[in-house]
Amino acid sequence: MTDATAAGTIYDLGYQHYEGERLGRANAIRTLAAYSLRSAFGLGRGERAKFVPVLMGLFCFIPVIGQMVMANAAGDPSRINFAQQTQFTNLFLILFAAAQAPELIVVDKQLGVLGLYLSRSLRSTDYAFAKWAAMVGAMLFYTLLPQLILFAGSLLLADAPWHAFTETWRTLGPILGTSVVISCYLATVGLALGSLAARKGYASASVIAFFLMTPVLSAIAMTLLPHDIMRYGILGNPIEAMSGFARWAFNVKPLVSRRFPLAAPRFGVEYFYPLIITTVVAAGLLTYRFRRSDI
Amino acid sequence: MPLISAREVTKRYPTVTALDAFTVDLEPGIIGFVGANGAGKSTFIRILLGLLPPTSGRATVLGFDAQEQPLELRKWVGYMPEHDCLPLDVSGTEFVTHMGRMSGLRPSAARERAAEMLRHVGLHEERYRLIGSYSTGMKQRIKLAQALAHDPKLLLLDEPTNGLDPEGRDEMLGLVERTGRDFGIAVLVTSHLLGEIERVCDTLVAIDAGKLRYCGSVAALTEQTQRLRLEVDEDAERMAERLRARGLTVTAQGVELMVGFHDDSVFDVVRDTAAELGAPLARVELQRHRLEDLFRATSDAPALAAQGAAHD
Repeated sequence: MTDATAAGTIYDLGYQHYEGERLGRANAIRTLAAYSLRSAFGLGRGERAKFVPVLMGLFCFIPVIGQMVMANAAGDPSRINFAQQTQFTNLFLILFAAAQAPELIVVDKQLGVLGLYLSRSLRSTDYAFAKWAAMVGAMLFYTLLPQLILFAGSLLLADAPWHAFTETWRTLGPILGTSVVISCYLATVGLALGSLAARKGYASASVIAFFLMTPVLSAIAMTLLPHDIMRYGILGNPIEAMSGFARWAFNVKPLVSRRFPLAAPRFGVEYFYPLIITTVVAAGLLTYRFRRSDI
Repeated sequence: MPLISAREVTKRYPTVTALDAFTVDLEPGIIGFVGANGAGKSTFIRILLGLLPPTSGRATVLGFDAQEQPLELRKWVGYMPEHDCLPLDVSGTEFVTHMGRMSGLRPSAARERAAEMLRHVGLHEERYRLIGSYSTGMKQRIKLAQALAHDPKLLLLDEPTNGLDPEGRDEMLGLVERTGRDFGIAVLVTSHLLGEIERVCDTLVAIDAGKLRYCGSVAALTEQTQRLRLEVDEDAERMAERLRARGLTVTAQGVELMVGFHDDSVFDVVRDTAAELGAPLARVELQRHRLEDLFRATSDAPALAAQGAAHD
């Protein structure tokens, strides 16, 4: 090598080679997932990127406060309704998935950053997995956390918190279950539809279209199908499916059963099936999209 | 162990053959990879990174098989793509640190090296600005910084001067040269302009329509592509004969003679011959072939490629 001082007159700190450890694939996946999770909340990005996550926080945490205030006023912590929290926030969760899943997956492709990531110790399916994990994590912040706060609130409002905990701790099961299922469902659908689109706007539109069109299609199906099959049409409505699933998990009666006098569905675990099937299909689609080598 | 070794690498697409039995062995240094747009340069780089499977043949980089061990290989290779590859709403520091961590560095090391590399490419002042507000030249430089973040042993630069103004080109080539010479990092840099990169390179590889046209030292290529243009107002034919008799290659077109130029002794021979004949030399001009001339010449005379390879 030539004399380093010769060319390094301006930046004469010299060049230090890196002798340390070089981590591999697992590190790359972890790093990308953590970075993407941060960027889903707009952290490390410009000011505008923080708008959606903050707004979303308001939508998801205000019902929590509302429920606690009401339960406090009534002096009855058992009035806290965990299924209702899911019902209140469903629509916002869908909008969040429509806004942030494309942000995580489409922008990289659109700007060419994906090509840079794939030149690292990372396979294309690893990339998809890291983004998926980040998106599920972001959704959990808005599904699991409010429910946990609600649970904590129900204990604090009780006369004997510890006693209340020993009686109600089993609620943590459905809290965790519904949050994980709904988060995985929305994250996977959002990313899978996002992976098909070339631009962020199209991706968001297609996610919203999916959640708008499936209820319409299921309603049409309900009118066309024979009466005994027809009642299953309600399962094709994602919002109903999520709400129904939460009601089943928390063992709560429907809030407004008269809104669907015809169907008046009293499904239980059946609500879970459309969610899990859609999640698996979407995960397959996402993997297929990224397994192609020329992405 | 060569730095890069390609054996009969072929890449066929349904309509075109991007690489055609491409065989080359390259040693560390600054390697210029020249060819027209679409000649197969980017395809070759993508194969070296294991991003693209070749139709047939085998490529190894730093001893790693590009198809078998791409993840291990990429820990030691920095890549600056030709296309845009930058997030816009992230600061320079944040981005280079992140890419360093993606390449296997621990967080503290990544931060340290990001700061160092941003200083190296001259973006120290702008490091907290969002990348979206950078100029084209700054974007090219931060692309270089992220490729260097993990201290690679080999740097693959795909058209780093693309879209830059002449001043920006000079700066970028200066950075490439400093990276190769002072940092001791092997560099493979592609360009469609021979004149541009030959001055920073030790070795030149020329590719045309997926075929290897030349591989050898820059000096050897200069020798083959430089020529002396003479204008002799009288006796041009006799002058040409004399020069040929003295071992020079000469093509004559009327009063114009093109003389193959290998070193300064050619000037002496020309001077002496002209003096002997008393031929009126109206013009003596050292000319460069352009890249296209090189390809035209070599497709007529395939020996050149072999000759160049032998020289190395």
